[in-house]
Amino acid sequence: MDRLYDIIGNLTAVPGVSGYEHLAFERMTEYLSSLSLFDEIGTSPVGSIYAIMRCGKKGAPLLLLDAHLDTVGFVVTEICEGGFLRVAPLGGIAPKILPAAKVNVYGKKTISCIFGSKPPHLQEKGESEKKAEVSDMFIDTGYSADSLKEIVSVGTPAGFPPDTERLLGNMIVGSGFDDRLCGAAFLRALLMLDKNELNIDIAFQFSGLEETTGHKGATTTAFRLAPYKAVVSDVTQAFVPGAPKWREGVRAGGGAVICYSPKTSRRFTDKAVQTAEREGIKYQLSASPGRTGTNAGDITVTKGGIPVVQISVPLKNMHTMSEVVDLSDAFEASKLFAALIKVESGEVLL
Amino acid sequence: MKELLEKYCNILGPSGMEDEIRDAILEDIKGSGCDWSVDAMGNLLVFKKGRKKRNKKVLFSAHMDEVGFMVKHIDENGMIWFGSLGGIDRRVVSGRRVKFCKSGLRGIIASKAIHMQTPEERGKCEPLEEMNIDIGANTREEALKYIKVGDCATFEPDFQPFGEGLVRSKALDDRLGCAVMAEMVNSDLEFDTYFAFNTCEEIGCDGAAEVVYSLRPDIVIALEATTAGDVPGVSKNLCACSVGGGAVISFIDGGTIYDKGLVSLATSVADANGIKWQFKNVVAGGNEARNYQTGASGARVLAISAPSRYIHTAGDVLHFDDIESVRRLAFLINERSFDND
Repeated sequence: MDRLYDIIGNLTAVPGVSGYEHLAFERMTEYLSSLSLFDEIGTSPVGSIYAIMRCGKKGAPLLLLDAHLDTVGFVVTEICEGGFLRVAPLGGIAPKILPAAKVNVYGKKTISCIFGSKPPHLQEKGESEKKAEVSDMFIDTGYSADSLKEIVSVGTPAGFPPDTERLLGNMIVGSGFDDRLCGAAFLRALLMLDKNELNIDIAFQFSGLEETTGHKGATTTAFRLAPYKAVVSDVTQAFVPGAPKWREGVRAGGGAVICYSPKTSRRFTDKAVQTAEREGIKYQLSASPGRTGTNAGDITVTKGGIPVVQISVPLKNMHTMSEVVDLSDAFEASKLFAALIKVESGEVLL
Repeated sequence: MKELLEKYCNILGPSGMEDEIRDAILEDIKGSGCDWSVDAMGNLLVFKKGRKKRNKKVLFSAHMDEVGFMVKHIDENGMIWFGSLGGIDRRVVSGRRVKFCKSGLRGIIASKAIHMQTPEERGKCEPLEEMNIDIGANTREEALKYIKVGDCATFEPDFQPFGEGLVRSKALDDRLGCAVMAEMVNSDLEFDTYFAFNTCEEIGCDGAAEVVYSLRPDIVIALEATTAGDVPGVSKNLCACSVGGGAVISFIDGGTIYDKGLVSLATSVADANGIKWQFKNVVAGGNEARNYQTGASGARVLAISAPSRYIHTAGDVLHFDDIESVRRLAFLINERSFDND
């Protein structure tokens, strides 16, 4: 589990705001290479990185593992007098979490800034109860407007610093766990395997544009890689007080979440459940009667159709700078990925 | 000064829990030859002998406490319900990290994912009494191993210089006053001077109310941070004061009409020494000066403040130059005998 924590730390340290994933390419490629797992690493023009681990056997089919690379963040829309910035959100961000939040602006150099707020005594009566938009907020950079223009321009991305820390037990808090955490779980799974013993090739894709443009990074790279099946992993909402009753079944600490959906393959999903049962891997079930809300629903209609299973990790406070997860859930997910890969490999006759 | 400020800001000391910050200040000043005592309410009172006596009793005052949170209830999900220690705007809390006094336990102020918010909830910020701190416990039993009702927390310590000469941190209000006064105590002073490092300012200036009774000062100079509103969306005529605009000399605020003689003394000393200073342009805020002015038989009061954006948040933002202006002005004013001022 410490190895997993280490991988999460490495992955979340690289900024990759949705639409600006290319800024992560160099460091992420470097890190993926350092794991000595992959035979080929490439990038796509729509924000994805893919890395292929070949078993060395002729005619081996390719299994795709998908997690998304991009995180929610911001893009600068205006440089204001006094050295402040106005921004638009990239992905869904609640305005209420922003005042006094730390934010990194990725200009010519990365500058550490803070979201500002209007002082209480200058607010109108009842103003704090009113609805707000991200566009009402501003970033305080600490620079004069003139100095700032040397570093930042309209169109510069910004995001929450990772700030990963441990809470009680296996609970950890940080930003960007959505979805670097699942990427880390995949990589941890691959590190548990010996590729020479497999009969299938594995492609790990860290796809772009999940948070903003409807999963286009995932579908385009899946098209290129043409896998015979895909495992998609994303974070999912863990129960929190005040959530609807039906969410009570998925909890932080409850294990990996195997999701049933009309968009995903029931047969492949059943196989994941059976594998978890057989291997004693802790899991919980969830049901998504719609399009899954993740890359799973789109990868499955790529090319002539790709059977997909969705395995998630529960997370609290999604899309905030303080996402909370139980590391053991991600670890159970990684064990399930490794076991499922072995099952798939065992079914292939070469 | 920077190092001292960082050390003091990173200590957890909400109202009623000032022991640790007081011990740190005491450690730094007790080698200076000062006389000190801690009163029954935890205020640290210091007398530093100068080269000369002064006919008037002059007291510098700063508060040690900061805003924070107190545990009121731990529910069946292991979530912590809390109240604020001092005035904290509901809109600066959601998603912030906190740290508990003594245990050092980390927590975060939970913020339901945007996807789970109802259309009615979107864009809104719930009041503090509906928010929870999450320490990572899943049940009440688990949480109770680490936490109990009455425990206190502050925003997480994270002192960080940024931009062009600015700094952001929790508790700059009023650890900057504490740091300036600690330096004064450790200096050779022209005149005998009293210093009060107070408790419980954030919940109603209790410390000052006690100190004015026990010390009976003639002149009190409060050193603190004050709200700056020089941000987008606030017109200049309402901004109160500006970060980088120099030390703030108040002639009036929400609690005090300051001593006119002391205000004109402060502005002339600043001008004569090239210290950047500004007045506030709104009547708002308030500080311990009110309690000194009106407590016991009354005192003449002055406040010298550093302008701070986002005061009482996880990131009070100040300019080091303003802090330096406050420091210099405090030292220079203390070189006066006050016989004729």
